[in-house]
Amino acid sequence: MKRVSLFIPCLVDMVLPHIGESTVALLRHLDCESTYHCEQTCCGLMSFNSGFRNEARRLARHFIRVFENDEWIVSPSGSCVNMVKNRYLELFDDDPVWFARAHDLAPRVYELSQFIVDHLGVEDLGGTRHAKVAYHESCSTLNALGVSAQPKALIRSVRGTELVELTGADICCGFGGTFANSFADVSTALVRQKAQYFLDSGADLLVMCDPGCLLNIQGYLDRHHPGRGAVHLADYLAGSIGDKTQVAT
Amino acid sequence: MNITTDKFKETARQELANAHTQKFLQILPLRLASRRDSAYQSFPDPVAAHRYGQSIRDESIQRLPELLQVFETNAIANGARVFWAEDSRAANGYIVELAKRHGVSYVTKGKSMVTEELGLNEALTQAGIETWETDLGEFITQLLHRPPFHIVGPALNIPVEQICDIFLQKGVIDAPTTDPVALGMAARRFLREKFRDLQMGITGVNMAVAETGTVINVENEGNIRLNKSSPRILVCVMSLEKVVPTLADAMHMLRVLCRSATGQAAGAYISLDSGPKRSDEIDGPEELHIVILDNGRSAAYQDPKTREALRCIRCGACLNTCPVYGKVGGYPYGWAYSGPMGQVLTPALQGLGNTGDLIRACTLCHRCKIICPAGIDHPSLLLYYRYKDVVGDRALGGSGAGWRERFVHTLLSVAGSDHRLWRLFAKVARLAANRFRSGDRIHSMPNGPRGWFSSRDLPALPAKTFRERWAQMDPKKN
Ligand code: SF4
Repeated sequence: MKRVSLFIPCLVDMVLPHIGESTVALLRHLDCESTYHCEQTCCGLMSFNSGFRNEARRLARHFIRVFENDEWIVSPSGSCVNMVKNRYLELFDDDPVWFARAHDLAPRVYELSQFIVDHLGVEDLGGTRHAKVAYHESCSTLNALGVSAQPKALIRSVRGTELVELTGADICCGFGGTFANSFADVSTALVRQKAQYFLDSGADLLVMCDPGCLLNIQGYLDRHHPGRGAVHLADYLAGSIGDKTQVAT
Repeated sequence: MNITTDKFKETARQELANAHTQKFLQILPLRLASRRDSAYQSFPDPVAAHRYGQSIRDESIQRLPELLQVFETNAIANGARVFWAEDSRAANGYIVELAKRHGVSYVTKGKSMVTEELGLNEALTQAGIETWETDLGEFITQLLHRPPFHIVGPALNIPVEQICDIFLQKGVIDAPTTDPVALGMAARRFLREKFRDLQMGITGVNMAVAETGTVINVENEGNIRLNKSSPRILVCVMSLEKVVPTLADAMHMLRVLCRSATGQAAGAYISLDSGPKRSDEIDGPEELHIVILDNGRSAAYQDPKTREALRCIRCGACLNTCPVYGKVGGYPYGWAYSGPMGQVLTPALQGLGNTGDLIRACTLCHRCKIICPAGIDHPSLLLYYRYKDVVGDRALGGSGAGWRERFVHTLLSVAGSDHRLWRLFAKVARLAANRFRSGDRIHSMPNGPRGWFSSRDLPALPAKTFRERWAQMDPKKN
């Protein structure tokens, strides 16, 4: 049995905790034992993207201290994985000691679907769920991590699930962290376009690997197309294997 | 040129509401981006060709000072005159002076971003010298007094009716027509008249070859060639980063440039000029002046990070792939260079003073980085600029973050370094946010993120964080 350390982003911890639970369920289904460091907080992505490098460095050092002894670190968030895997190296490029620690940690950090498919070698979870779904390619997951085939393979493997083509699947949904707030007009134009492509695709659900995109797209759908849903890959897959982990709130 | 970079948000809002802009933007990426992709397939190994181009630009920029010297020596040996212009004033001054000395009453110009950067048209007009843009798109934007909308098609967003009106007004046509071909022909006839007894032509430079002292131009309409071969005096203005080491490098970069820009294997006209007309030649200019423009580039070169922006070959591929450009078009970027290209170049050349919004108008989606044939890592550069802006970097003219933002990030980093504080922080955040919940949603928060709530809801924060749920999960089952 593999011991997997859960890297639960702050957004999942506080706003979308069910994604964390689904992650646990999937890993258990795959015979992996999850561990969770209660000391984990935030990887520093938001501060780094806003230009607050010194603040991001503090958070990054904390992250590294918490996780550096783990063998496998898995997260249901492409953008946070990209931060730890790639951006930490940039963040510490003038600090040899921390650079080395970040560099040492990077290869052990995985996005969830990447871990399941590339590392565990599993492409079929044996689940069943009857739905027509479309897949949204989150920018960090697709462009920075190169992860796209993995989640799609997992979706296709679910019995009863049809994965339909999504126009503009790889075009940004306009989230971009604080971008969605400070450039609200442009961001809205982008998420509106994304929502339209989704509605046009005829799918019941829009699946994705990034909690940030989910917050944005779902937030838009709730306001303008109530009843239409977006869902995180972990939740979708956990649903297909009949997960009962979810704790009542 | 009138710089309006500081009005990014305002102009973006206008363009989002502009039906013409939106109509044009919808067809643009489909047309150009897919043509680029199929054109790249004509390389035996597209990935290798892409990488090779990136390595040529990398080498060109790393060896820039040396290559420029070699270029100058060879250009002079070919009979050209080389003028180093430190800034736009020096460049414009030199060109105006040259025109005056030869008693030139008008000049024609081939499409060029660098003269756009210089504001050369205004400088010439002020000196009483007429300027005629000879690229159809540039000609239209010049008549309309509008900045270029897109690097490849500067007037692609202007509806034909508007072109018809302005052509009638300026006497380019006698009777109204909205036939694009007829309009194009009329402009061409009008401009051919200008070429007939032309004394001075001005062009930009797509590439300069150090090894041979050659300047190269690529185009589709043939006007740059007329600008280059019909006048007595030719002025080629190049920004100093346009140099590549050898002719072989230039040939590869041309193949990459044309594919990235218009999806063509090669532009319809490619001209290579090494020096003015020789005594045994029948056409070509008697004098060739090459203006090498700095305008902030040496300073950008000093910093290995901003230096990377100088790799750009102005192909425009990043514009066609950028989701933000795809919604707002070229005007909000406010200077000669738009899209991701402008976002990395403008701050490098002008500093961060007026570019605070420009460097933040990006979702960091990485598409530009992937497509860039020059190997620029735009997201990384933008993050660097943001950092320099936040800390108020002197060299780049950063303005420093406001106290509110500083406070939020300080709080975040202090709380985030101690998980007990972090938990407290989470509780307070939940209490504060959920005061505005209605059902399981939050529709707005007074004093909250207004931009977010302008079009989106937020889920109410659940009673238990993941951490609290984890504590309740059956440890044996996990
Ligand atoms: S930044 Fe890259 S993709 Fe954009 S115009 Fe320059 S060379 Fe082309």
